[in-house]
Amino acid sequence: MVMASKRGEAHTPSTGRYLETERVREALEAATDYGATYAEVRVVSLTESTVAMRDGQLERAIPGQELGMTLRVLANGSWGVHSTTDLASLNDQIESTTRLAKAVASRRAKGERPIGLAEVPIFEDEHHWKSTLDVRHTELDAKIEHMNDLYRGATGHDDIVSVRTGWSDEHIHTELMTTEGMDRVWSFQRSLIHGMVTARRNGEVVSYRTRHGGQGGLEVIQACDLVELGEQAQKAALRLLEAERAPSGKMPLIADKDLTGVYIHEALGHPCEADLVAAGDSCLDGKLGHKIGNELVTVVDDPTMMGGYGAYPIDDEGVNTRPKVLIKNGVLTEYLNHRETAHHFDVDPNGGARAQDGLHHPLVRMSNTMIHGGKHKDMDALMEDIEYGVYACGTRGGQVDTGRGSFQFAAQEAWLIENGELTRPLKDVSVSGLTLEILKNVDGLTRDASLASPGFCGKGQTVPVGDGGPVMRIREALVG
Amino acid sequence: MKMLPDGAEDRLLSNADQLANVCRENNVQQWDIIGFQAYGHQLDIEAGKITMAGGGGEGGFGIRVVEDGRFGFAHLVDVSGAERAVQQALSIARKSPKIAGFLLPSEQEAQDVPGRFDAEILNVHPEDLLEQADGVLSAVKGLDERAIVTGGGVGVSATAACFMTSEGILSTGITTSHGIGLQVTIDVDGELTSSYQGQSSRTKMEDVPSCVERAVHWAQVTQNPLRVESGAEEAPVLFTSEGFSPLFSMVVPPALTGEKMVRNESFWSEKMEQQVLHESLSITDNGLLAGGMASGSRDGEGVPRRTQQLIENGRLVKTLWSTRDAAQQVAEGRIDAASSTGSAVSGGHQSPPSTGCTELFLTSSKKGKSWDELLQQMGDGYVVNGVMGAHTANPSSGDFSVTTSSILKVEGGEIIGPLKQAGLSGNLARSLCESVELGVDVRRQGSYSSGSMHLPDVLLSYGLRINPA
Repeated sequence: MVMASKRGEAHTPSTGRYLETERVREALEAATDYGATYAEVRVVSLTESTVAMRDGQLERAIPGQELGMTLRVLANGSWGVHSTTDLASLNDQIESTTRLAKAVASRRAKGERPIGLAEVPIFEDEHHWKSTLDVRHTELDAKIEHMNDLYRGATGHDDIVSVRTGWSDEHIHTELMTTEGMDRVWSFQRSLIHGMVTARRNGEVVSYRTRHGGQGGLEVIQACDLVELGEQAQKAALRLLEAERAPSGKMPLIADKDLTGVYIHEALGHPCEADLVAAGDSCLDGKLGHKIGNELVTVVDDPTMMGGYGAYPIDDEGVNTRPKVLIKNGVLTEYLNHRETAHHFDVDPNGGARAQDGLHHPLVRMSNTMIHGGKHKDMDALMEDIEYGVYACGTRGGQVDTGRGSFQFAAQEAWLIENGELTRPLKDVSVSGLTLEILKNVDGLTRDASLASPGFCGKGQTVPVGDGGPVMRIREALVG
Repeated sequence: MKMLPDGAEDRLLSNADQLANVCRENNVQQWDIIGFQAYGHQLDIEAGKITMAGGGGEGGFGIRVVEDGRFGFAHLVDVSGAERAVQQALSIARKSPKIAGFLLPSEQEAQDVPGRFDAEILNVHPEDLLEQADGVLSAVKGLDERAIVTGGGVGVSATAACFMTSEGILSTGITTSHGIGLQVTIDVDGELTSSYQGQSSRTKMEDVPSCVERAVHWAQVTQNPLRVESGAEEAPVLFTSEGFSPLFSMVVPPALTGEKMVRNESFWSEKMEQQVLHESLSITDNGLLAGGMASGSRDGEGVPRRTQQLIENGRLVKTLWSTRDAAQQVAEGRIDAASSTGSAVSGGHQSPPSTGCTELFLTSSKKGKSWDELLQQMGDGYVVNGVMGAHTANPSSGDFSVTTSSILKVEGGEIIGPLKQAGLSGNLARSLCESVELGVDVRRQGSYSSGSMHLPDVLLSYGLRINPA
């Protein structure tokens, strides 16, 4: 009863199908007969594994196989959605889901625009981003070995009280069929290793988190010197034991690549999501073509950046992906769109539809979001004329109120800058501001831009993302 | 459209039985199986209108096996893959370190917890939710013509669950829930303010619950911000229950787990039987709370839930343990003796239980104060109804540095107006050691860790820094 997938064995269907195509076609035709203008069935199979270790000892290893299907029906300009783990129940849900969509539509006020979908090319094809070292064939021992490398680097000091390490990998297989004739199958993988180092001295407890990962299989983890990653985390945790509370107030801020990435994700990326713009919940509503940042600032969101944790081959509406230039030289050029918002704004969809899994419907989401590099040679060049400011690095996450355009992000560690030099380590540094003010205050970027640590983004649904950029200087930021 | 299919509970149990048989056939020493199947309906609201109606069902099973103190776990959706899942779990158990003395708990009598199921919710149809959403949208307009619900939704669900172990524990049941969340925005000449508020219940809520009025109120009162020239200052802060909960739930519950305590990862490590909060404050975890969202007869390992005081008049008296954590910390010599406190928390079928709280209450021995009394007592300071970035607070130290756009300035006990934005930083553990005043109206809030937080409005007078933008 929980589910009725016909595939009991070998959860490796990259060349096979979960959906019985003829049956699904019949169901989609039935939706049309019931009055749907569009319907889709999307199924996602996740073959996943997580491992947790503490102080070099295995705490838990969890292999899993999840399967979910979402039926989405557009009728009379409104959506009805049904999500289930029971694939066999599809045909039973067509009529009721269409009726639901119509019930929503019947409540639309006079003058309100019905939902429509921008047209897209229709494909019947398969795309599989093959990993060099498939996560499904990676043995637990290999994962433990890599996690122990990270542990070995991070441990070995009296003040380090614990080192937690974690592993997560997943093979994502998606099938999409629509009333428009779209029939696409795609798959790809992600891998992630992370550590949390906790240090304690004289009753003071601090912790430092480190991560490495991206789109791909075991080769992603192998590309990282994990012992060094652990050593850096250990040093950072020990520095935090010495760190002072950060000063408060408006001052120049230099952000490392990690924090630059979180900044651009929170401050700009979210307000660029067209579903929020259309809902009247973005400070960037009506700002397309306007100069909203310093001309140094060019921002892209690019799911085609293979290796990035937010990469994906095809979006969850079956639209081909492409890089999106959100800001070019300070001018807002493009929102992130899915088909519904593209229709709303009368533009082409740009492949921004993502769903957490097979049980969720697609929303407009970011992928790999980056600021392009600038002209400064290095961080010293950014810092040399700062009398008093803060250099903040690493991220503990952030949050944004897209409507007000206010955001907050927190650094893992920081230093005071005095007369162009790093002086004292600081802790608990957070930065807040208003999108439309702070983008204009970016006044320096180093030349080298790259994706930083992988991350996760929550918007009711959680999806993996990549973000980064160069080292960035903000003329004036509110440091807390 | 019927929400809960006939016989859902029986079929879940039957599938769990199949998994149990596979464990028996493989001569697994000890095992437990957790299964869920949830069904529900929900509506999305955006831009002042209902944009989507949805529904469906999802579920799965988690299998934990224990062999000679070593444990393995696997999860699956399709029970036809039971053999593979059990073999995976066994294979992992063989690679796991042995925890001497770790045995799955045996059957103990557990107390029924009422109020976690409401048959009325099963009869809520999508059309009923549409009517409720219409009512909410009208109520928002009625409260303020300028207010728009820019996001959120309403939903109902019913979850059939079963828990079965090799030690004879068998527990099944259905719980229900009804929830609403809404982001209300007011935009006056480009000056946009907003407030997100939510509410949920195991029983059917009234059509327009109180969170609707609260959302409109906070979007209203944060309009027309004051122009503030001053810099950062130390100031008392009166948190509403909604404003306090994110920080409290991020910092306090993790610090109360026995494992963190004995591993020196909690700011309250080595402080058992010592004063850790102001002497007026107590914290109780009520795992048997009627109608609770996280309470229940048994914990995630099948151990009976209980009500337990963790901090009594400011003194740390008890910490939270699961069976496995307790066995591991004893085996590794960090503590002489520990046993389950019925605090294993199941995170669903995809992960084995961890340790956490259920229904956490912060109370004071002092008489609760009304909102006006709290403002008067504060004199000069700030009211905070929501923060951004609570998830970045440091649960190891209690330090936090967050941002708020839902903040009012108070002078002489009177609210004089909102700030557009401000930084707010401090150390929650230390602030709770000083003079703390609690309001009278306790409201249940969600949590960043586990369980629910039952919190009144809280006035913290020391150690907080406000940094107006």
